[in-house]
Amino acid sequence: MKTFSLNKGLAGLWYPFIFGFYLFCTPALARNTLFFSVSQQQTQVHGIVTDGTLPLPGVSISVKNQKKAVATDFDGKFTITVSPHDILIFTYIGFKTIEIPVAGRLVINVQMKEDATSLQEVKINAGYYSVKESERTGSIARITSKDIETQPVTNVLATMQGRMAGVNITQNTGVPGGNFDIKIRGQNSIRLDGNAPLYLIDGVPYASETIGYNQTSTIYPTPTSPLNSINPDTIESIEILKDADATAIYGSRGANGVVLITTKKGKAGKTTFTVTASTGAGTVTKFMKLMNTEQYLAMRREAFKNDGIPYNSWDYDVNGTWDQNRYTDWQKELIGGTASITDLQAAISGGSEKTQFLISGNYHTQSSVFPGNFIYKKGGSQFNLNHRSEDNKFRVTFSAGYNSQNNDQPAFDFTYDARSLPPNAPTLYDSNGELNWENGTWDNPLRNLNAEFESKTNDLIANSVLSYEISSGLLIKSNFGYTDLSTVETRTAPSSVYNPAYNISSANSSLYLNNTDRSSWIIEPQISWTKELGLGKLDLLAGSTFQNQTTTRLFQSGTGYSSNSLIYNLASAKYINVLLNDETIYKYQAFFGRINYSFDKRYIINLTGRRDGSSRFGPGNQFAAFGAVGVAWLFSNENFLKNSSWISFGKLRSSYGTTGSDQIGDYQFLNTYTTTGINYGGNVGLEPTRLYNADFGWETNKKLEAALELGFFHDKIFTTASWYQNKSSNQLVGVPLPGTTGFTVLQSNLNAEVQNSGLELTLRTNNFSNVNFSWTTSFNLTFAKNKLLSFPGLESSPYSQKYRLDKPLNIELVYEYKGVNSQTGLYEFEDINKDGKITFPEDRQKAVDLNPKYYGGMQNQLRYKNWNLDFLFQFVKQKNRVNPMGFAGQMSNQPVSKIDRWQEVGDIPTYQLYTTGNNSEAVTADYLYDRSDASITDASFIRLKNISLSYLLPMRSNTVQCKIMLQAQNLLTFTKYKDGDPEFTSSGYLPPLKVTTAGVQLTF
Amino acid sequence: MKTFYHIEKQMLWLGILSFFMNSCDSFVEVDLPKSQLTTVTVFDDYATADAALTDIYAKIRDKGLLTGNNRGLSNQLGNYTDEIIPYGTPSNPSLNFYNNSLLAENSDIAQYWNDSYNQIYAANSLMEGIEASTKLSDQNKKQLKGEALFIRALQHFYLVNLFGNIPYITVTDYKKNSTVSRMPVNQVYQNIINDLESAIALLQNNYSEMGRIRADKYVAHAFLARVYLYTKSYPEAANEASAVLNQTDLFALENIDQTFLVDSSETIWQLQSAEAGQNTQEASTFIFLSGPPALVALNDNLVNSFSASDLRYSNWIKAVNDDTSTWYHAYKYKEQNFTSISKEYSIVFRLAEQYLIRAEARAQQGDLIGAKEDLNKIRHRAGLDDTSAITKEEILDAVLKERRWEFFTEYGHRFFDLKRFNQIDVVLSGSKPGWNASDSLFPLPQSELSSNPNLRPQNQGY
Repeated sequence: MKTFSLNKGLAGLWYPFIFGFYLFCTPALARNTLFFSVSQQQTQVHGIVTDGTLPLPGVSISVKNQKKAVATDFDGKFTITVSPHDILIFTYIGFKTIEIPVAGRLVINVQMKEDATSLQEVKINAGYYSVKESERTGSIARITSKDIETQPVTNVLATMQGRMAGVNITQNTGVPGGNFDIKIRGQNSIRLDGNAPLYLIDGVPYASETIGYNQTSTIYPTPTSPLNSINPDTIESIEILKDADATAIYGSRGANGVVLITTKKGKAGKTTFTVTASTGAGTVTKFMKLMNTEQYLAMRREAFKNDGIPYNSWDYDVNGTWDQNRYTDWQKELIGGTASITDLQAAISGGSEKTQFLISGNYHTQSSVFPGNFIYKKGGSQFNLNHRSEDNKFRVTFSAGYNSQNNDQPAFDFTYDARSLPPNAPTLYDSNGELNWENGTWDNPLRNLNAEFESKTNDLIANSVLSYEISSGLLIKSNFGYTDLSTVETRTAPSSVYNPAYNISSANSSLYLNNTDRSSWIIEPQISWTKELGLGKLDLLAGSTFQNQTTTRLFQSGTGYSSNSLIYNLASAKYINVLLNDETIYKYQAFFGRINYSFDKRYIINLTGRRDGSSRFGPGNQFAAFGAVGVAWLFSNENFLKNSSWISFGKLRSSYGTTGSDQIGDYQFLNTYTTTGINYGGNVGLEPTRLYNADFGWETNKKLEAALELGFFHDKIFTTASWYQNKSSNQLVGVPLPGTTGFTVLQSNLNAEVQNSGLELTLRTNNFSNVNFSWTTSFNLTFAKNKLLSFPGLESSPYSQKYRLDKPLNIELVYEYKGVNSQTGLYEFEDINKDGKITFPEDRQKAVDLNPKYYGGMQNQLRYKNWNLDFLFQFVKQKNRVNPMGFAGQMSNQPVSKIDRWQEVGDIPTYQLYTTGNNSEAVTADYLYDRSDASITDASFIRLKNISLSYLLPMRSNTVQCKIMLQAQNLLTFTKYKDGDPEFTSSGYLPPLKVTTAGVQLTF
Repeated sequence: MKTFYHIEKQMLWLGILSFFMNSCDSFVEVDLPKSQLTTVTVFDDYATADAALTDIYAKIRDKGLLTGNNRGLSNQLGNYTDEIIPYGTPSNPSLNFYNNSLLAENSDIAQYWNDSYNQIYAANSLMEGIEASTKLSDQNKKQLKGEALFIRALQHFYLVNLFGNIPYITVTDYKKNSTVSRMPVNQVYQNIINDLESAIALLQNNYSEMGRIRADKYVAHAFLARVYLYTKSYPEAANEASAVLNQTDLFALENIDQTFLVDSSETIWQLQSAEAGQNTQEASTFIFLSGPPALVALNDNLVNSFSASDLRYSNWIKAVNDDTSTWYHAYKYKEQNFTSISKEYSIVFRLAEQYLIRAEARAQQGDLIGAKEDLNKIRHRAGLDDTSAITKEEILDAVLKERRWEFFTEYGHRFFDLKRFNQIDVVLSGSKPGWNASDSLFPLPQSELSSNPNLRPQNQGY
C-alpha cells in the first residue's frame, strides 16, 4: 500500500486558492472592459403590481434588450429609470410574463394574471446544473417549503412521505431522534444497508452512515442516523433525482438516487421578520387489542390443564401470588402518555438587488409518551448571504447551518413490556411511592426509567459558491463545502434497575459512551459554457471533485461506581474499558461533465458522465466510469400542436445510463487484526478483523426510463407517466457465510442481477381558481416491482433459503399453513416433500412478497379568501407480519383474538391449544406458525398523513401579516391490520405518533 | 487593456487544464486506521502474536460455550438436565433449555455455534500467521502453536458432544469452510486426539508464569484423558490421567473450602477475570441473596440427592429462605462482587476430574481396587466414607453419582455423563416432562442449514 503522497495529493488543494484569488481580482478588472450605452432622455417611472386584489412583492421588472432590472417591494411598488421608448418586462413565478411599452408614461400600474403553464418555467435543481421544468430530460421529483411548512415534523425524510412518486419512506420508531427507511425506486442492493441515496445539502455531500453505537442507542431499532440534524424548517426545496439521466453525473454514488436539499435564501426587498410559534401534542396512533385479566387468567389455567401439570412456584400470575382481580392496561400505562411539542422559529430576510441575506433560528422540544420526564430538544440557526458584483459577473453565495440536538430518552423502549406484561401484574409503585418489586416476583418495567440514553449532537454545514462569468455564456465556478458533526451518546445501566433485594450495588453500575466525530471537506471547481447556435442551444459543463471525510469514533464503558450519582463521570468508574478507538478516512475524487443540446425548444439531448475514484476499494479497483444519455421531444412545440386548444404541453423523454455504489464502509479490502481492548493475562487482545478479500469492485446499476408528460387546457390538468427499469449487477455485498467460516459475512461482489421496474403516475389538476377561491389537487401513484433476475449458484449459496429467482428480494420463505387439526388441536402445515414431518428447508418454500404493491398520495390545497386548507392522504398496499407475541398460554399477554382457540376434539378454531411451554409439539407448531403464511397479513393502509388549516387575519396595516395555523400529522388511519400501527419495520418499538399542533405566524 | 484580458484568459485555461491533468491515483489512497495492524505485522513480533492468542482465551471466557454468564453451558445445560430450575421473567433464556423445547432458530444455539467456530478461526489464523512468520523464534512458535491446537480441540470437543456430527475446521479459507460437510463423531474425536497429541509435543510443562491461566502440557494431558474416556479408550484415559496425577509437586486436592480459590493447587486450567479484582461470572449467575431467585436456583432433585454429611452439600450449596419457601443456589464460587484482588477465577479443568476419570477407566478395565482407591480420594475429601460399591457395575454407578455431586453446575458434566452412561432418557424422562429421546443432541442453527446445504439434514426431532 502506497502512503498518501503529501506533495502530489496536496497539489490539488492549491488550485482552488489560485482559482479563488483569480475570481477575487477579476471583477474589478472586468468592469473596465465594459461599455455602457446610456440613453440621453431618462425618466423615472413608478407603479404598483397586483394580482387583481393584492399587491405582488418580488416581481421582476426589466427593460427589454437592456441589463437593467428592479423588483417590486413588499407593497408591490416599484420605481425604475427608463427612456420613454423602452419596453418593460414584468415576470413573476406562477404568472404570465407581460411586456408593456413605457410610451412616455410616468405611472404604470400593472395587473398580472396567474399562469399555470408558467410552472413549466420553474428552474429545477439538478445538482451541478439547473434546468427548466419543461426542458429537463431526467426524472426529478420535487417538494418545496410550501409542502414542508404545513407539517409538524422534525425529520427531513418525514416531510417527503407520500408526496413523491417512486420514493418509499417508512418510519422505524415513534421515539424522537429515530430513523426512517428510504428506498428510491426499490431495493437495488442485496446488502440491506447498501440502499441509501446520496444526500447533498446545497451541493455538499452529507454522509448518512450511522453515527451511533448499538451499545448506547438501545432505545432505537437501529443506531442513530445523522439525518436528524437536518432541520426541515430551513429547507427551500428537496429534489430527488431518480433516473440515469439525472443521477449519472453523481456516478458511483448515484445508484440509489440522489436527494438534493436546498436551503432557504435571502430575498431582495424590504427587510422582513417572520416569527412562528406553535405548540401541540403527540400520542400513539393505535394500540393492540390485548386480553384483560379474566381472559388472560382463563388462558393460563387452560394451558396448565392442557399440559397436565400443576402451577409451578414461579407462576406468580396464576398460583395466587399476584392479585387475581387486578387489571392494568399496560399499553395505556407505559406508552399511552401524551408528548407535548413546542416549536419556535424566527427569520430575518432582506437586502438590496445585489446583496441579500437571511438569518433564521429555531427551537423545538418534544416530550415523551413514555412515563418519566424525557425530552428531545433541537435548535439551530441558518445564515445565508448572496452577493453579486455591479456588473452581475461575479457572484458569491455563502450558507451555513448549525444544528444542535439534545436528546434524553429511556435506555429501552417500553413497547415490548406494554404488550407482553400479564394484565394482573402488580402495581408499579408501592404505598411509599417507591418502585414495587412485589417481593421479587417481577421485573418492574419502570426499572428502566433509571437507565437513560442521552445524546448530544452538533452539526455544522457550510458552503460557499463563487462564480464568475468570463464572457457571455462562459462561467467558472467552484463549490467549497465543509461539514463537521460531533455526537456524544451515553447509556447508563445503574444498579437501581435491579431489585434492591438482590443487593446489587453501584459497584456493578455501568456507563456506555460513544463519541463520534465526522468532518469532511469538498472542493468542486467547474466550468460551463452556453451558446445559442441558430435555433439550437448548447450547454457544456465540466468539473471535478475532491472530497475527504474523516470519522473518529471512541466507544468506552465504565463499570464500578462508588455511587450511582457519579455514573456519568467516567473518571469515577473503577474499570474503564476502551472498546473502540478508531479513525477512518474516506477519500473520493471525480471528474464529471455534461453536454446538453436543444434544438428549437423541440428536441433535447443530454449527455452526462463521471469518472470516480474511491479509497474504499483496493489497488486496481479504485476507478470506474459512469455515464448516461437522455433525450426529450417537446411535441407540443411542433407546428401541428402549437395552436391546439386543449393540449398545452406535451413531452416524451427517455434516458439510459449507468451509476454505481460504493456503500460498503471503509478499509474492507485490508487483511488486518484489530485491537479488542480486552485484557487477558496482562495482554490487550488482537483479533482478526474480517475475512480477507481484497478483490471487490463497484456495484453498477443500469437505469432505463421512458416518460410522457402532458398538459391540457393551459396545464390546468397536468399529468406524467414514467416507466423505469433498473438493473443492478456485480452486487457488492457482505455475503452471509456459514458460521463454520469463523465469521458470518464476507465483503465480496456477487454475480447476481436485481431488477427494479415500475410505473410512476402523477396528476395535478387546477380545479378552480379565482380571486376568492382556488383548489388544486396533486396525486401520485407508484407501482413497483422488484425481481432477482439471475444468481448463478443460488442453490448452493448462503442465500439459497433467502432468495428465489424471478421473485423480489424482499420475500419471506414460509411454511404453508393448513389450519388447526381438530383432533390434536395443533397448527398444521403442508408437508411439501411428503416425508411425514415438517422440515426445513424442504417444507418452507412458499414465497411471500413483502414489498408494497403500490403506494402514493393525494394532496388537496384549497384557499377561500384568507383561509387555506391543505391535506394529504397517503396510501400503501402491502403485506406485513403480524406482531410476534409467542405461543399463547405462557406468562405473557396475548391479542384478544387468541380466545378463538382449540379446546376439545372437533373444534375448528383460528388458533391452536394453549400451552405453558411444556408441550414441545405445540411450541414447535407455534414457531412454524410464526414462519408460515398465516402470520403474513394485509397491512395496507390509507392515512390522513397531514392536514393543515391556516387563516390569514385581516389587518389594517398591510405591512403586518398574521397567520393562525392548525396542523396535524397521522391524524387518521384506515387499515385492516390488527396488531397496532401498520407502518413499522421492526416490531417491539414505538409506532409513529399522531401529532396535532396549533400555531401563529407573524410577518412584518 | 485588451492584452491584459487575453493573458488572463490564457491563465485561466491553464489552471483548468491542470485540474484535469492532475494525477489522481494518490489522492484516493489512505493510511491504515489507527486501531488495526496488518496480519503480517502482527506475526513479526512475539508480543503482538501473543496478544492474538490471549484474545482467544478472553473470548472463551466472555462468549459462547464456556462463559460463566447465564448463557454459558454451566447454566444452560444445568437447566437442560436436572441440576437447575429457571425463575424470573418469561424472557429468561434458560426457560427453553429447562423445557427441553429448543428450536433451530434459538439464538443461544446459533451463538454457541458461531462463537465456537469464530474462536477456531482465530486459532487457525494464528497458526497460519506463525507458520508464515520469519521473525518469530522456534520456541515461541512452538508454544503459540501448541496452545492454538489445544483451543481448536477444546471447541470441537464441546461442539461434537452437543451437535453430533460436525465439521472439523483446520484452515481459514472461507471458500472451503463455507461448503464443509459434517464429519462422523469418531473422526471428529480422532482429529481432537491428533491435535492434542501435537499440542503435548509442542508445549512445555510451565504455567506460562502466572496463575495456570493458559494451556500447557498438563492441561493438554488432562483434556486428552477426558477425550479418551469419552471415546471409551480406557487404558489411554487412565494413562493420561496418571500423567497429570503423578505431578504431585504441582497438583493436589485441596480442602473443600479452598477448591475454587484462585491459587488452589487442584486447578489445572482456569480462565482469568477481565479486570484485577473482578471475580467469576458464575458467582453472579448463580448466587442470589433473597428469594425468589432472579435467574435460577438449584433443582431440589439435586439438593436432596446429597447425604447430609457431604461437605460439598454444606460448602458448595447455600439455602435462601423467606417466610414460606426455601431455595438453594450453587455456592462453589462465593464472590459476586469485586474484591481488592481477584479471589476466584473460573476453573475449567481440575484435579478431581482426573481422579474420577481414572476411577472409571480402571473400573472399565477390571481394576476394581484401583478404581475404588481413586473414587475414595474424592469421597474422603468430601467427608464421606469409603464407597460401598463392590462389583464393576456398582462402582461405575457410584462414579456417575460422585460426578453429579462433584461437578454440578460445571460446564455441563452432568449432561455429558448421562449421555455416556446411556442413562439420559431414563433419568430425564422421569424428572423433565418435556424430555424427548431426540433432545440428547441440540438442533443445528437454522441459519447454518440455510447457508450451507452440505450440513443438512437437521438433527432428528427438530
